[in-house]
Amino acid sequence: MWNIRYFLLVGLCVPTLAAIESFFEELSLRNLNDGKVASRFSFTTRLEGVSPRDPRTLGFDDEAQHYRVFPLALGQILREYGVSELHLTLNAGRWDYDRWGYPEEKGVGTGAELWAWMGDGAPMSIDNRWKGLRNALAGLFCASLGSMDELRTTAPSQAFPPEGRLPSVDLPHQLRHASLPSEHVCTENLTPFLKLLPCKSLSGIASLLNPHRLFDADWHGMGVHVLWGEEEGVEVRLAFQSVMDPLRYSLSMSRDWSFQSLFSRVINKTCPVAVSSRVTVALPQQDAIEIKPNPSIEGEAAFFDVATVAKPLNVGMHWQHNFQYPLGEPIPLTPLSVQRTLKGSSQDRGQLSLVIINHETTTVYARYLETMPWLVQFHLHTLQAQVKGITSGNIISNFTYVPAVPHSRPTTFEAMLSLPPRSTIHLTMDVTKAFLRYTEHQPDAQRGWDLPPAVITPVEPLNSRMYTAGLLVDLATPDFSMPYNVIIFTCSLMAFIFGSIFNLLTRKFVVVRLD
Amino acid sequence: MDVNVEREGVLWRKVFSKIKAKFSATPNAHQNRIRRQKAVVALLTHHLPFIKLALFLLGYLWMLSIPSTSLSTNTYIDENALQPAQVNTYWNWGDVHTADKYLEQLETLKLANATSFDRAQVLRKEFSKLGLSASTQEYSFSLSSGVTRGANAYAVISSPRGSGTEAMVVSASWVSLTGEGDGMLNLRGISTVLALAGFLKRYSLWAKDIVFVISDGYLDGMHAWLSAYHGSTQQNLVTEELKISSGVIWAALNIDYPGHSFSHLGIFFEGINGRLPNQDLLNSFERISRYTGGVPVTVYDHLHPQEDTMNKQGKTWIPSTIRNHQNVVSYAYHARNIVRHLNYQARGCASGVHGLFHQFRIDAITIFAVPSTGPHGFHAIGRVVESTLRTMNNLLERLHASFFFFILTGPERFIKIGGYLPSAILISVAMMFQGLGTWVDAAWVPDDSEESSQTKEKASNTPLKWRKRRRPVIPALLIMAATHIFGGSLFFILTRSWFMKNYQLLSPIIFIFFAIIPLLTLTISKPTSENAPLPTVLKALNLCFASTVISITAVLNFSLAVFFSVLLGVPLAITSSSSAAPTRALRYIAHILLGLGWLLIGQEEMKAAILNWEVLSVWFAPVICLLYVPLVLQASIVCILPSCS
Repeated sequence: MWNIRYFLLVGLCVPTLAAIESFFEELSLRNLNDGKVASRFSFTTRLEGVSPRDPRTLGFDDEAQHYRVFPLALGQILREYGVSELHLTLNAGRWDYDRWGYPEEKGVGTGAELWAWMGDGAPMSIDNRWKGLRNALAGLFCASLGSMDELRTTAPSQAFPPEGRLPSVDLPHQLRHASLPSEHVCTENLTPFLKLLPCKSLSGIASLLNPHRLFDADWHGMGVHVLWGEEEGVEVRLAFQSVMDPLRYSLSMSRDWSFQSLFSRVINKTCPVAVSSRVTVALPQQDAIEIKPNPSIEGEAAFFDVATVAKPLNVGMHWQHNFQYPLGEPIPLTPLSVQRTLKGSSQDRGQLSLVIINHETTTVYARYLETMPWLVQFHLHTLQAQVKGITSGNIISNFTYVPAVPHSRPTTFEAMLSLPPRSTIHLTMDVTKAFLRYTEHQPDAQRGWDLPPAVITPVEPLNSRMYTAGLLVDLATPDFSMPYNVIIFTCSLMAFIFGSIFNLLTRKFVVVRLD
Repeated sequence: MDVNVEREGVLWRKVFSKIKAKFSATPNAHQNRIRRQKAVVALLTHHLPFIKLALFLLGYLWMLSIPSTSLSTNTYIDENALQPAQVNTYWNWGDVHTADKYLEQLETLKLANATSFDRAQVLRKEFSKLGLSASTQEYSFSLSSGVTRGANAYAVISSPRGSGTEAMVVSASWVSLTGEGDGMLNLRGISTVLALAGFLKRYSLWAKDIVFVISDGYLDGMHAWLSAYHGSTQQNLVTEELKISSGVIWAALNIDYPGHSFSHLGIFFEGINGRLPNQDLLNSFERISRYTGGVPVTVYDHLHPQEDTMNKQGKTWIPSTIRNHQNVVSYAYHARNIVRHLNYQARGCASGVHGLFHQFRIDAITIFAVPSTGPHGFHAIGRVVESTLRTMNNLLERLHASFFFFILTGPERFIKIGGYLPSAILISVAMMFQGLGTWVDAAWVPDDSEESSQTKEKASNTPLKWRKRRRPVIPALLIMAATHIFGGSLFFILTRSWFMKNYQLLSPIIFIFFAIIPLLTLTISKPTSENAPLPTVLKALNLCFASTVISITAVLNFSLAVFFSVLLGVPLAITSSSSAAPTRALRYIAHILLGLGWLLIGQEEMKAAILNWEVLSVWFAPVICLLYVPLVLQASIVCILPSCS
């Protein structure tokens, strides 16, 4: 009786207790140097005046949460595991920093990447909560995040600082990071992503998210970012980035694009719950262009307020001149160019090679992070940094190294690099490729293993992050297509060797006289 | 009923006890077993000459029957993911026009005598115009015959939405493989690659990066590019590093189109050191060419006699009924293909630029447009390459399902390893038997020292008395070791630059020097009647060693094993010492000519082998110097040494 009355009371109080929820959406488009168009959708939901769940209360029932705009499915997961900050990205393709510059959303590593900051002090260990979190997200986003197990989980100390604030200073927070480069991203991941939006893909900017065109792009990636700030409260940002190539279908090398040509859709309706909903188009500096419909221009960008502008909205850009690919070496848009390869074609050893070019006229400091599954083991003593073929001792400093444990823990290697101006730096390190137990091989054993990208974090500009390309490593692989032959050969050999030795050991030698 | 059952039971018990008695460990049974063993051994030794002869004959006959259709089977696609010739191709006449325009440009480059570097720059610019990341790579080889320089141009299509960890290569070398790179240019092959680069970029379906390489020279350019790509270093090679990288290369197609038009597309597939690509690649290409391109496929540039209108005559001295018989025609055609295959594989030579890829575990073939007056051109080859790339694009894993060991007798026929391997193994077994027989025989000598004078007639009908004697193993082994050291020093001399510069003059001198040195063994060996004669022991060990070499080589490089079993099999088996000095000298000279004759008549071949060793690390030259020559020298020493009696 008391309980029911108590619940009723709480129920009545809810409208007054409910946090202020606000939803902002934005689409920004920019033209890239190689004629492609980068677009970035960003959907931000704020739950003001709310802080992440205190991990110390994880043992008890949670307070009831009532959301109108905030995605419930995600909110429940965040509270269940007491997550303070969370970043999940699912990307397809390799981001070309040299041609495309820094992306607007930093997380562009190939495949899936998940990292979360969690407060300690809960009855459940951090690792157990991490496990629950990734399994819950795997279910929510239809991705194989469950396989980001302890073989791939690391806790790098510097590369992934919290992007928001971490609540309550008295609680130590811990980071868990894992990446799964072999994850393929496709429409089954986009559908649950759209379901988290208040207007789904029915109206507003999200109505441009047409899977048929997005998954035909040259690069695409989606991200879920959960942050907390003292004033903003809990913020969920759902982001979708893509790089599309209008030249691919153009016979006359025309760079013209419009919503209709990029997404095969236009914006017909405004999302009614959106506080702000706007489209930003970065204006190219040199070229003569025409943009339709008439935008409001601020600085180097054109803006459209979706709520006020006439519908259907089909933003388009028209160039006066046809495009020509630049003939010389492209001018890199980032201070650093990074190329990472695994040299050597043998199946037992190789050499990890990282070539960093510093285009700046000043020394650039950057953090270098490798999180390598135990399949590839580093020989740290062979780590060498060379500039113009001369080994230089003062490039690598300040490194932390957590060696791999075979069959379980991955390697974490972090170092500070000081990259001399206008130079090419070669970092090399010998590696051993592991020999797997036969049950540890993947179903497609002859493919090799995808290795996660390395992360370079330049100290300036602040909070920038560069992902290198992933790698594929060939380990010694038995011929799984003919296991029966292998078994027969091995058993025959064993029987022959064992049989003859056993025979000699147990035989009694006697002299037999023949007449 | 009961009685019957009982009787049956008794019968069973009897049978059991008999079997038990046979296997039970009574002393009698042991004696029986040893007797049985002795009888078997006696039977074998008694018939050993026949067994050896039968094994030799069977082995050589098997080798001869490899081209017959009864040993080969039809090719098939083993990897289901490939789905060859199942896609619509979009390469069309507009792209053919593009290729024609590139060809014009290349022709002007050729006429202007542009340097390697200029050419590479022009090609890089053309790639850049298409919006690909493109770059050039300069390299230089310092060889004993001089310095070779060149520049490659390459470009990468990053696969849309792909992680860039897997790649396919489409390549063309500046020089065509016609005449093993004798200078015919591959301009149409390069134009095809350039036009394909622009064409393939328009599609978003590539799951793997596509790397286009236009390599300088014949093999040297691609070798430099692949070495830089895989970070393998070589002392005499200086290359620029590659500025653009891509992922692990799984498959490569090299396009060779030297003529104006072509009638057939030929497959070249042998890699250096006898490596072969996965057969699925060849078979997919064959099907695609036949069904998608409508172009018939041949092995190498060998046309089937029925299609070869130009060369219908053949050997006129054979009666036309035999010459034109269906089986004879197909045997001759298959034999021609196999001999060419053996020639490439035994020498460890790559039959084209594709052969350099295999050492890095990349499956690669060369598509060779067999020069002809028609009817095919850019349109057909573009479609075939497009469709083959689509097939390779389907791969989720490396090619691993089909065969890596095979002999392609025709474009649609092949022999599995089990069909050809036994031939060389049989020869090797025959040689081993011969060696073991000689070894056993060497230990025994007819004991006629005491009673020979007394009973000469008796000896003829009573069995001879045999006496055991010692076999001098150490001297024989020392001679063998010395011959191998000779082989090593021969190889050392051949790879010096002063030798290569005057090889025509120095080869005969080296020949005479190396032909005389084995005669030194005459001075050290002192035949005694106490021990077995040294030549016999040396022959036994020589044969056993040669047999081992052949059987091991057979699984690594079958063609080399065939080469060895033909050149070593009978010549080593028939060596023997003789009391007559002229016979010995003649046999010695014959063996020396067999072992070192190439210094006199195969000088160009030798030069090519040394060059292949220096540039591409082809093992043929060291194998000849360190294995083949010593083995034949040992046989020649067997011939020249006087027998004891």
